[in-house]
Amino acid sequence: MDSFVEQLKRGTEEEFTEESVWDGSAVNTTSSSLPAIYLPLLPRNLRHPTTRGRKATEFQETKKACLNYIQDALLQHQWQRAAEFMTNYLETLENTSAEKRMAAPEVIWRIGTEILCHHSKSSIEEFNYFAEQMKNLGVKRYLKVCLEHVFHLLCNGLIDEAYQNLSLAEGWRYGEQTTAQDKELKLIQAYKGLLDYYNWTKKRTAMLELDGNFADSVEQEMHSFFRQAAVNLREIIKIPGVWDPFVKSYVDLLEFYEDYDEVRQVLSEYAYNSKFPPNPNAHVYYYQFLKRQGESKKTLMSVLKILHEIVPSHELMLDICQLQKSKLQILQICFTPRLHSQEGKISDSEEICEETQLCPFESIWCFGFLHASLMFTRCL
Amino acid sequence: MGRLLQENFYLGEARLRSKARENTISVKTLVQELGRREGRRHCPQLQPSPRLRRFSCLSRDWLFEVPLGLLAECIHEELALQCAKLLFDDAPTGGALAWLPTEDVAPAPRGCLVYPGGEAMNLLCFQEVALEQVAGGLQPHAHGRPAQFELSGRVRQVAATRVAGEALVGVRSDYHCGAWRLQTDTAPVPLQVIRTDAPASCLTVSPHLPGELSVCTLSGAVYLWNVETGLQRLRQDPETAFFREASPWRWSEFTSHPRVLSCADRTGLQCLDVRAPTSCQFDLFKVGGEAECQRGERVMLPMYLGRAHPCQHLVATQFSVYVLDERFPLVPMLRWEHMLEAPPIFAHLAPGRSQETSHKVLLGAHRTQELLLLQYTGGSHSACQLTGPPRRLHPISQGLQHLSPQVTPWQGLLRQRLAAPAAGVTAAPAKQEPLEPLLVFQLSEAGDLFYQSLVPEPPAESESSEAPTSPPSLPVPAVAGQPSPAWGASLGSGSEESGPLPGPVSEGSANAGQAAAPEEAMPSVGLAAAAPYGCWLTALIRAWSRRPEQSQPQRPPTIGHQRLFTHGELSQPAGASPLYRQARQLLRRAMRERACLAPWALGLPPTPLAMPDPVEPRAWPDDLSKRLTASWAGGWGEWWEEKLGVTRAHKLHALRDRRRRLKQARSRRSLFGSFTSSVTYQSDLSDFSACSQPPSEPLGQACEELQPPAPVCRQDLSPARAGRGHRPPAPGQDWPASPLASSSQRSGQEAWGSQDPEDSSQLLSSQTLSSRGIPKERRKTLRDYLAIFTQPCPEPPAELPASQVSSLGSQRWGPSSQSQRSTGSQPPRKRPRMGF
Repeated sequence: MDSFVEQLKRGTEEEFTEESVWDGSAVNTTSSSLPAIYLPLLPRNLRHPTTRGRKATEFQETKKACLNYIQDALLQHQWQRAAEFMTNYLETLENTSAEKRMAAPEVIWRIGTEILCHHSKSSIEEFNYFAEQMKNLGVKRYLKVCLEHVFHLLCNGLIDEAYQNLSLAEGWRYGEQTTAQDKELKLIQAYKGLLDYYNWTKKRTAMLELDGNFADSVEQEMHSFFRQAAVNLREIIKIPGVWDPFVKSYVDLLEFYEDYDEVRQVLSEYAYNSKFPPNPNAHVYYYQFLKRQGESKKTLMSVLKILHEIVPSHELMLDICQLQKSKLQILQICFTPRLHSQEGKISDSEEICEETQLCPFESIWCFGFLHASLMFTRCL
Repeated sequence: MGRLLQENFYLGEARLRSKARENTISVKTLVQELGRREGRRHCPQLQPSPRLRRFSCLSRDWLFEVPLGLLAECIHEELALQCAKLLFDDAPTGGALAWLPTEDVAPAPRGCLVYPGGEAMNLLCFQEVALEQVAGGLQPHAHGRPAQFELSGRVRQVAATRVAGEALVGVRSDYHCGAWRLQTDTAPVPLQVIRTDAPASCLTVSPHLPGELSVCTLSGAVYLWNVETGLQRLRQDPETAFFREASPWRWSEFTSHPRVLSCADRTGLQCLDVRAPTSCQFDLFKVGGEAECQRGERVMLPMYLGRAHPCQHLVATQFSVYVLDERFPLVPMLRWEHMLEAPPIFAHLAPGRSQETSHKVLLGAHRTQELLLLQYTGGSHSACQLTGPPRRLHPISQGLQHLSPQVTPWQGLLRQRLAAPAAGVTAAPAKQEPLEPLLVFQLSEAGDLFYQSLVPEPPAESESSEAPTSPPSLPVPAVAGQPSPAWGASLGSGSEESGPLPGPVSEGSANAGQAAAPEEAMPSVGLAAAAPYGCWLTALIRAWSRRPEQSQPQRPPTIGHQRLFTHGELSQPAGASPLYRQARQLLRRAMRERACLAPWALGLPPTPLAMPDPVEPRAWPDDLSKRLTASWAGGWGEWWEEKLGVTRAHKLHALRDRRRRLKQARSRRSLFGSFTSSVTYQSDLSDFSACSQPPSEPLGQACEELQPPAPVCRQDLSPARAGRGHRPPAPGQDWPASPLASSSQRSGQEAWGSQDPEDSSQLLSSQTLSSRGIPKERRKTLRDYLAIFTQPCPEPPAELPASQVSSLGSQRWGPSSQSQRSTGSQPPRKRPRMGF
């Protein structure tokens, strides 16, 4: 019996040491052997009560609950309810926790924008006022707020106001904050260039309609718009990215002034620079430009072959048939295995499947891509 | 073990005799009793038998069914697994609910709903359902009984596609995958079943070729499964594609090309060509490759959006949803943060009918039952764009609000039932021209199937009906410039004729109710919606009450207070005595005054504390008591040092001192014994003070010193510690019986206690000399002669180490001649010099 008691004692001691070890190594063992997925929110019943750290104050608890209610209302499209909660949530700007105080302006900006965008009784004046307040609230995201504001104005057809806002934002200087928001500044300049291009097209149509004395002054204005647009658009196109609307407008500008060498250089850079993402549209633009220029079949074929590598079912593949008279060569192009492979051998039976690939899908003319900057408006 | 217990366990058949019964148990009776109890295992009235209890108490510490260490390990492993599963379970990814529309577009469109049923969700049901339009919404009606197939495992996923006039249904359970063919107006036909070694994690049906499926297993293998030709392994890679990730989860989907499959793991998506799977592949999506990927983001569910656009894929992570285009890999067309609490693992696409109408994507979470409707347009002629803000649909658990308050006793059960994790999501579109209502089905893990109907609100109407007082029909404000109709959740049905969707599949009790449940949070709607809920509830309660008694939760056994207290104790009220009343008053007053309530305030007479009897320290000879006594007296430090043996030297000195005093007393007694006694004294000392004797003691001094050398020695041997009370022990004081003290005493006895030296000193004294008849003249000569021997020895025995010398010396000093003793006393005094 005594020996058993001793064993028991030893057993509990071992257990104790194991427990103390467990605290440290538990994370490692579970992470190594089990699928550990990082979840955004732990279920409430699994949160271990921790006595360490500062306890959340009542204020913070209330604000957290309020935020949950706002989220719930937003997801159920109850904008009025969300707005009511929002007025209470504004107190979080005075949050005692420094971390939350820093994050508060962005949260308020995002939620407020979403509510104002969808609330049935919101007006554009209110939105402008809110945007101005948000710009003052946090200089760290001044340009982002500006961009969002401009998008909203554009969506409501207020192009002149949007242009005004963009010009203001372009000239914004705030010490180090300006350099920190370099990316946003580039985008603002690019969108300003896009609006310049829009104005330029308006002037162009006006000029073509008008004759005589007025045409000169209009032409002068048009040229000034061209200069502003060209400078800004050229800047953004140099940065690797997906800039389809900017490239198209820039090419349109240059082609009007017959600067074909510049167009050729910009488009080939956009299509073939390996730093840029493999954008199929870039090849399409290049091909269309070359076709407009009346380039030789060989040049056109080489562009199309590269496009075929990326999108074998593209509508422009039909052009291959027109360009290439020999059916054998068409088949050769069409049945070259996709997916950047050289050694993929295809048996005869599988060619049928390849053939079906071209037919069933709807023709794809131009699939414009929403580029990254537009996305964050819907992030909420 | 048997041999160990032999004497106390009787294994024989015969009855035990009276004497042996005291210490022996008959195993036969024990086994008989166990057998009897086995037959009545479920009897609630079964009393534990004292014999068995005693036996189990006795054998508890050695009789384990499973070795404890192994058991603990297994339990620990299982608990960790269960914990991770509670957090996130990827087995039901994809959802076990599918809707297959039949070809005919009648006024009442029909279709087939495929879902698992039964207590273990192992019953595959094919239910014909007709959709009827009622009051602006859709109402499903079951036709006939469902075709059922009993499977050997829990159905995890049901995937279905219609290709070329016939529908193929793929069913995945943990280790088996099966395929069924479904044709109009015929019963479903099982085609083939495959068994996998590792649990399968994915099963998708090809939208291009009939009879083709893709299967992934948790071992990292991807198979193309053709019902006619069999399996083809495309890839076997336990490692994840882009970076290291522990999860073995894999998924594969078909793409726009019939021979190209997309393979996903938690880190991203890759596309591979079936014809050359090793060489032809490209990356479609990479976690972390995107600009705004969050830390820890992982792919939760990829889905091919072929019915919306041939090249589009949907990728859901735990934070965001991405729409990808195969032609432009690695750059998402659309990104949107879904803000779901749990990661979405169910998705369903309801493609828009034309270019203008939006595609609807339903995202469902497992544990939290969340359901989110996301609409987007574009892809081919315009850029991908979300139309309107996302909309949350009601989860199953919100149906609790619609239940009438009469069901309060069942509230807990219902809440538990309705809060079961979701198991699948699907939607049935109705092709009705003006409005295109959508019927959303939701399956819970408890086996309940719910639906809600969504009706689009035309933009024109939404402008007019903007009344803040009617939130249920609160329309979706149309996004400027979006031509697609906006959608709002609206009441599916409120009419009485809307019975439960499929007749209650009453095969198992857990599958009690499958009810139609239109959901709207408003009370006005709630009344109307209560009718179908009532049907579901009656079916559920009926099935519940039919359950066998034993599976219902039993009340834990309670002990009545009568067994703990006697009747008299209970009948006497505690607060009757006046003392209690007084105490209560005092307590109240103290509370009022916020004062401290002390016992004396109660007015109780202070009882004098009884003084304990004085303790006699000598009565407690053990260490602890001595220590306590010493610390009580204030000399704990000394006691401790003494205990540690620091004062050994001190004690040695005291011993020496005592001997010297004895010598002096003796020398006073015998006038001439001083010389020899000093010699013996020195030699005796050398016996045990080999290590502590100071080397600088002059030889002659020691020889001729007659007065006690105590002060000198005390200076030399005084302890180095300052501040210690110098208290030489009294000669008569008892020393603790420490080993050190005993050894010193013993050595003292050896050298000093033996009577030989004393005898020899008496031999030389004048009295003894005269008594032996030696004349006075010759006595001088004799003394001179003997004095030669007391001169220092010129050659010390250098070859022996100190301890040996001392021991040799002590051996030599046995009862031997005086000369021997005197020479033997020399080496210890030389020894210190030797050491240098």
